[in-house]
Amino acid sequence: MARTGVFVCWCGSNIGGVVDCAAIAAQAATFPGVAYSVDYKYLCSEPGQNLIIQAVREHRLDRVVVAACSPRLHEETFRKVLVRAGLNAYLVEMANIREHCTWVHGAEKERAQQKAVDLVRRAVAKANRLEPLFESSIPVTKRCLIVGGGIAGIQAALDVADAGQEVLLVEREPTIGGNMVKLDKTFPTLDCSACISTPKMVAVANHPNIRLYTYAEVEKLTGYIGNFEVTIRQKARYVDHDRCTGCGTCWEKCPCKVPAEFDVGLGHRKAIYIPFPQAVPNKPVIDREHCRYFTSGKCRVCAKVCPTQAIDYGQEEKIFTERVGAVVVATGFGLFDWSRVYGEYGYGRYPDVITGLQFERLVNAAGPTGGKILRPSDGNIPRTVVFIKCVGSRDEAKGRNYCSRICCMYTAKHALQVLEKVPGARVYVFYMDVRAAGKGYEEFFQRAVREGAVYIRGRVSKIFRDGRRLVVRGVDTLLGRPVEVDADLVVLATAVEPAAGAAETARLLGVNTDRDGFFQEAHPKLRPVETHTGGVFLAGACQAPKDIPDTVAQASGAAAKVVGLLSRDQLSTSPMIARVNEVLCTGCFLCVPVCPYRALAPKKISERLPGHPLREREVVTVNAGLCQGCGACNAICRAGAIEVRGFTNEQLLAEVDALCL
Amino acid sequence: MRDTVTQLRKEAARLLKEGSVKYVIGYAQGTDVARAAPFFATVPGQVNTLTWTPFCVPNLVKYLLDFRYEDARLAVVVKGCDSRAVNRLIQDHQFPRERVVVLAVSCGGMLDRDKVLAVVEPGAALLEVEDRGADYVLKTDRGEFVFEKREALLAKCLECVDNAPVVADLVVGRQVSPPGRPGVDRFAAVRALERLDAAARSAFWDRHFSRCLRCFACRNVCPACNCKECSLEQAVPGWQQGVCWLSKRTSLGLNHMFHLIRMYHVTGRCIDCGECARVCPVNIPLRELYRKVAKDANELLGMSLPGLDPEEKPLLTTYQATDPDEFM
Repeated sequence: MARTGVFVCWCGSNIGGVVDCAAIAAQAATFPGVAYSVDYKYLCSEPGQNLIIQAVREHRLDRVVVAACSPRLHEETFRKVLVRAGLNAYLVEMANIREHCTWVHGAEKERAQQKAVDLVRRAVAKANRLEPLFESSIPVTKRCLIVGGGIAGIQAALDVADAGQEVLLVEREPTIGGNMVKLDKTFPTLDCSACISTPKMVAVANHPNIRLYTYAEVEKLTGYIGNFEVTIRQKARYVDHDRCTGCGTCWEKCPCKVPAEFDVGLGHRKAIYIPFPQAVPNKPVIDREHCRYFTSGKCRVCAKVCPTQAIDYGQEEKIFTERVGAVVVATGFGLFDWSRVYGEYGYGRYPDVITGLQFERLVNAAGPTGGKILRPSDGNIPRTVVFIKCVGSRDEAKGRNYCSRICCMYTAKHALQVLEKVPGARVYVFYMDVRAAGKGYEEFFQRAVREGAVYIRGRVSKIFRDGRRLVVRGVDTLLGRPVEVDADLVVLATAVEPAAGAAETARLLGVNTDRDGFFQEAHPKLRPVETHTGGVFLAGACQAPKDIPDTVAQASGAAAKVVGLLSRDQLSTSPMIARVNEVLCTGCFLCVPVCPYRALAPKKISERLPGHPLREREVVTVNAGLCQGCGACNAICRAGAIEVRGFTNEQLLAEVDALCL
Repeated sequence: MRDTVTQLRKEAARLLKEGSVKYVIGYAQGTDVARAAPFFATVPGQVNTLTWTPFCVPNLVKYLLDFRYEDARLAVVVKGCDSRAVNRLIQDHQFPRERVVVLAVSCGGMLDRDKVLAVVEPGAALLEVEDRGADYVLKTDRGEFVFEKREALLAKCLECVDNAPVVADLVVGRQVSPPGRPGVDRFAAVRALERLDAAARSAFWDRHFSRCLRCFACRNVCPACNCKECSLEQAVPGWQQGVCWLSKRTSLGLNHMFHLIRMYHVTGRCIDCGECARVCPVNIPLRELYRKVAKDANELLGMSLPGLDPEEKPLLTTYQATDPDEFM
């Protein structure tokens, strides 16, 4: 019989303020297998930990139940305590009497007391059946894959590479830089976005530890932490980048004009192009969809004018296979397509209703207007500019529930830029709230107000055209009356949403997504850059809407995690993974397709069955490096041949019986 | 149906003479006029015992599992509905396609034994059966009896609108048309249960499950139940109740558990051969339980009946990117 010790934590008043911890401990002493029980104010503190170690020694305990907070918070802490006490780390069971009890039942103390006792009884029943588990070790490939070459990917790549580890940076566009290089100035310091990001782009291109794959996408990722194998598909560029010098003759002479993605449709580019003059690599690609040669079979102007014969219409896409030990996902964000749902703003029919990102291009010195703020419809200077915030953000009916975080600040910046560039301009900002939490952010917003931006608290119900002007009709909820503004230009702060194809990327890389489609971190507070897949980390706006400082900070955080991982020669794997009972396994392999981590595969075993000679048959086997212990295989296995260690049928049924019988 | 029997025996004799199969698993006349028994022909001399009557209800495919850990090749006689079980065993990697010779018989429907025995004496000897499309003529030593299919077939046969085998090496005998009326509602019985309110439905199943003996006949006959050791019988050392998931005690609650566990285990794998309900000694309408799942899988997820296509993935192993539950 097990000798289980029960330790009930007060967590200060978090638990102790609602339930009587001493009474719980006294009652726990009567449960089967309990040899000792006690309560203490803070078990996770140094004296609390020592209390457990002392008790294990004095009372010869071989299992420990800690009734305290969520195992996600402190299970690891108490495992280490058990090791210090000389026990196997996996002989501890947590009873969550804080999140699952006192925090939610504070108003009904008596029933909370009963529930806490039940939860402890459950934990004791399981603890009595816990088995020692042992970690195993796997080697580490010292190379990191970074998916996405925006500012997050760039920062992570530079940090990992500077620490001496190899980096593969994959970007699906022809240049790295992402959304940040499209911006003009950045709040709150108003330094020029290109000036601070292009040097980093160049540093990436020149870094001896970074290999850059632009115009390329990750096609497949297999393997597990420390030992991934990635397949990268690089699209055909139809330009031999080894020969090309980036002289620019081809895109000057190309006869095909196409709306430029980089200018968000406001400017034009050629069919052979670099997205912008400071692109990295600074060599062109041919856009096959629009190129006259590819669409009509005639032209070849670029090939004729190229001084180095770098044009290669026959180029094919390339497949690269690489081994990496860690992956950073930095696929960034996209913008909510407001024109689909905002009929009241004209469904995108009015050319002078633009998005914030389009405004960035308008105001950018390298943009289609050379930095002059001009109306897209007629090229005139707008005298009255209206900004509308929360277009798609905080809008349950038409868009997203969440706040996109960056819009308050960039709208304040846009307002300042209009006031600065267009003398005498009038600026109106329709807003729900101004959220300016950040270093220097509130001051920046106040400056916009001081300089003359008129903030109107309220929603805009309609934009319609009246001659050459747009009429913006809304309500000022502070004054409680309708407002109408005649505007020359309307700028919408559209919601940040996951980048196009994020769901596909998530599946490809084995990352979970939250309900909004952003990638799910392992813990919102304590593991913000990890994912639930070991060795895959997150950086930037792919995890949640973020501004540049937060993105860069998270990217450096992810890089630190990667460097920490790659600095080790061996990794220990969690032993709480699936275990196959080969005798019971019938080899139906229904578990193989349900495994989200591709950790299961058939293997041959030799077996002698009653009345049969020794023969080979196939059963399933678990790859300890890949398995994350999710239990999907356990659930689908009718034969009960797969169990997850630490969550065996026997343990779980003992818990159910302890609660229900 | 004489032609079918003759051809069946001829093919069986050929297979056994060639030595390409160890057994031909077929049907023999059973212990009374309205019963057919499984029969394993091992030598050509035994093939004359093989028969084909409207009483060949048992699904013989399950017997393949007795030989799954051998190298022998086996021939098995199947009806259209039974043939889905062959596909299922192949999908579950329990029996390789190349080790089974599927002798498919075109089936005009199986007679309800009780309805036949209400008219014909059990001791009568069945001499010949004639399938006239709308009815069967049973010629016995006590006279001729005509059974209108509409009246006397098993419920599952009246719902059968496609009797073509989904897998076959040889199709034996004359093609007959399926007994079901085209457009018949396969799920009428399930729908009737769905129309009951929760209390009435609960009472319905309570009434049936309270009689369950936990004899496991439904499991033993089921081609979807192909585990080496049933998870409901796995003993856990030191576990006082004796089994892991379910004690051997029969009580209404445990019987509910048993049937719901079994229902989940055959989800997406039940081929609706109806054997479970046939063999149940206390007549629990198990088919309706499993068909409720099949109906939901079909209506909500567009899944066809399991076993129709060996390439189609079983329900619980499929995942679509358009799945509204974006949990991965």
